[in-house]
Amino acid sequence: MSLVEAQGLTKIFRRPEKDPGLRGSLKHLVQRRFKEFRAVDGIDLSIEAGESVAYVGPNGAGKSTTIKLLTGILVPTSGTVRVAGAEPHTDRMVNARNIGVLFGQRTQLWWDLPVRESLALLRDMYDLSPAFYKQRLERLDDVLGLADLLPVVARKLSLGQRMRADLAAALLHQPKIVYLDEPTIGLDISVKDRVRQFLRELRQDGTTLMLTTHDLGDIEDVCERIVIIDEGRKIFDGPLAQMKDRFARVRRMRLQLAEPTPVEKLAERLPDVEVVAGDAPTEVTVTFDRFTHTAGQIIAGVLDVVEVGELHLDEPAIEDVVRKVYAGELLRIPEPGPARDAAERSGERA
Amino acid sequence: MRRTLRIYRRSLGAHLRAVLEYEADFWILVVAGLLFQVLNLIFLSAVFSHVPALNGWSFPEAVLLAGTYGFVNGLGPLFFEGTWRLAGKINHGELDYPLIRPAPVLVQVVSAGIGMHGVGDLIGGGAMIGYGLANSDIAWSPARIGGALLLLAASATILLSLIVLGNAASFWVGGNHPVFAMTLIRTGDMAKYPLSIYGVAVRATFTVLVPYAFISFFPASWLLGKESAWIGLLTPLVAVYCVYLARLIFRQGLRRYDSAGH
Amino acid sequence: MRPYWGLLRMSTRRILTYRLNSLILWIGGATFLAGSLAVWHALLSQGEIGGYDWDQMKAYLLIGWATGAIGSAYGDWWMAGRILEGHVATDLTKPLDYQWARFSEHMGGLATEFIAITIAATAIVTFTGGLVVPGPAQALLFAASFLLVAPLKFAIAYITTMACFWTQNFMGVSWAKDAIVTLFSGALIPLALLPAWLAGPAAVLPFASITATPAALYLGQATGWEALRLLAVQAAWVLVLWWGARLVFRRALRALTVHGG
Ligand SMILES: Nc1ncnc2c1ncn2[C@@H]1O[C@H](COP(=O)(O)OP(=O)(O)OP(=O)(O)O)[C@@H](O)[C@H]1O
Ligand SMILES: [Mg+2]
Repeated sequence: MSLVEAQGLTKIFRRPEKDPGLRGSLKHLVQRRFKEFRAVDGIDLSIEAGESVAYVGPNGAGKSTTIKLLTGILVPTSGTVRVAGAEPHTDRMVNARNIGVLFGQRTQLWWDLPVRESLALLRDMYDLSPAFYKQRLERLDDVLGLADLLPVVARKLSLGQRMRADLAAALLHQPKIVYLDEPTIGLDISVKDRVRQFLRELRQDGTTLMLTTHDLGDIEDVCERIVIIDEGRKIFDGPLAQMKDRFARVRRMRLQLAEPTPVEKLAERLPDVEVVAGDAPTEVTVTFDRFTHTAGQIIAGVLDVVEVGELHLDEPAIEDVVRKVYAGELLRIPEPGPARDAAERSGERA
Repeated sequence: MRRTLRIYRRSLGAHLRAVLEYEADFWILVVAGLLFQVLNLIFLSAVFSHVPALNGWSFPEAVLLAGTYGFVNGLGPLFFEGTWRLAGKINHGELDYPLIRPAPVLVQVVSAGIGMHGVGDLIGGGAMIGYGLANSDIAWSPARIGGALLLLAASATILLSLIVLGNAASFWVGGNHPVFAMTLIRTGDMAKYPLSIYGVAVRATFTVLVPYAFISFFPASWLLGKESAWIGLLTPLVAVYCVYLARLIFRQGLRRYDSAGH
Repeated sequence: MRPYWGLLRMSTRRILTYRLNSLILWIGGATFLAGSLAVWHALLSQGEIGGYDWDQMKAYLLIGWATGAIGSAYGDWWMAGRILEGHVATDLTKPLDYQWARFSEHMGGLATEFIAITIAATAIVTFTGGLVVPGPAQALLFAASFLLVAPLKFAIAYITTMACFWTQNFMGVSWAKDAIVTLFSGALIPLALLPAWLAGPAAVLPFASITATPAALYLGQATGWEALRLLAVQAAWVLVLWWGARLVFRRALRALTVHGG
């Protein structure tokens, strides 16, 4: 059995339907009306020990809600969750020792206390031995540069400092599974790099990792698997490389031509392909669909017209891919594999 | 249980250390707490300079009563202050982290703060209790001393349970402020006077519905041997009931907890 | 004048938004009132004390509570918060007189406070059967004095919040102020019933003008020249505290620059 197993995970929030103002509030007291809202809608997910999973989707897709369901903060409306054999919301205490959680938008440090005191409180809650605690602090200090932060009251930390201290707090007890909800939100580039470096190390240590983020740079080196959700449903689940492969239909080739050539001539030779002039008269960019043309066909076509000096094939950036997935552009492609049923499901909804 | 107590103690200790960093604030709060007890005392002494008794309660007896209420009220800020932040925590989804830690959520909530004005209440209330006891006619015996301590502990338990219960209502009421709890606890202030001065509706409410009368009136009546003193001996039972109710309601509330949308 | 009027209206709106906070304050006051009423009812069942019978005491307690409610909706908390959170610097850059601006906001609470007072008065009349009604002259004097309570309480609250320039914690300061005001204004117990060592200071402090003066005028304990004298004293305190507050504020600003904001 997988370390994390979720089946048909669903969370429905009831939102009070209330007219604005005092009158609305009073009316709501008498006549309670609610609107149901499916934040997470039948998600199946299993994560093996040692895996690191990126969990992405547009704003409001249900990422944070899923994490809250997996960690036992919320009780699922329907569906089951098992984490290391325990049901998180009923075996709260057992589950708590296995997991570390960070919500990037919120701190778990006690607001009025120095960071050191917060960490010491967590030590007591997790029953860490003094020796283990000391060793962990040293390790976390190495990667996160904690030492300067320890005497500072949480309220006075800058965002980047707070996030480092929060990461330490989430990982102090060396949890088996770590859930990170937007761990790099609002950080500057240097702190971001530091956090990413830390995540890589975490993964090398064999920690199971689930990470949500809007900054796909976070996942590039850290996660090998990506799960994309939208409107509470899973629309892709597979290796990162496979996603690029499958969804990145569009490839771009930049060519340095031996002599200036009008783009029309090239376009004539290459129907169904977009040819755009570059900055210099000898530069063109050819954008083509990987499923209808191969790179070889394109080069051959260009060579018919003019000699080529240099060429460069752009790697598909996951940003581009994900952007298109969000925009719903890539779901219409019928394809074999798990992505297809997701596409069909979402088609039904449309 | 031992582990839970240790976590509670450590958490409270950490907050105490943080508060003591600001020495001036500490003293201002202690003095403010004390002033309110002094106010009660001045009121009683002014009134009793014109009448010999208030519904059969002499001045020292009334002081004992008000002192007990003040003393017990000082325990809230000192030991349960964090409870008052529950409404805000629910509203902002800040119970997420307590829920993922291996410690009871209630303990984490209750110990997340400390209010030093409680010290003033304890000193003021304690002094009033001392004065009241020294000047009242009580036949002391070991049983009586033990009983008095037991009743005091029970009355403190009742008040702290009411604080938890009132604040746990925030799971249903919503909003950023513990309006319900504030109303519940402030209404109890009426219990610093002998219950017999109130109309029958208030008396019934304070005895049966919300047991404010067991915080100071019935225990003091037992100690002073007033009429129907035996009711005071029910205080521990009421305390057990209140603890049970508070825990139940807190648990039920926690199941409704929906986090917040971010 | 226009900008101050705007501040006043804005303050009313804010109080309506945070009506729950105001409600909490008033509920606290209401239980205090209920407790006092019950105690006095029991005490006065034997006969009058210090010249107060039950009907008069009821009116007295209501006035004590009403004068306590004035200015409580706006609360010194809001003013203090702006200082503690450093917004005072922004406020100072506005082309307004700081004190008048805060006073306008203070007055913005009056509407809601009057509603609360009306409710309390109605409750007392309903549950305890009637209330002493003053004659027309007394009523007029009382109204004048009641109006002066608003600026008087403002000045006291305003001066108290200046403590925030020196301390971080306003809660203790505010409570201490409340305790002192409650005692020396007569809201706790009529000043005539206080022991001499407290009645002495109460007579010379400004707080008596908050509760004792309006109550004395309402109940007709002071009439003729004595009534006018009380009113004059009250007005004098308003002026003294108003200008005193300006002095304190100037001092406080110096503290602000010393601390570096
Ligand atoms: N406690 C709640 N009560 C009601 N609705 C909620 C609650 N929490 C989340 N929602 C709703 O559920 C949906 C999913 O929210 P969620 O926080 O899981 O999104 P997300 O994928 O994390 O988005 P983001 O990228 O913006 O963080 C949103 O529409 C949100 O409004
Ligand atoms: Mg989110």
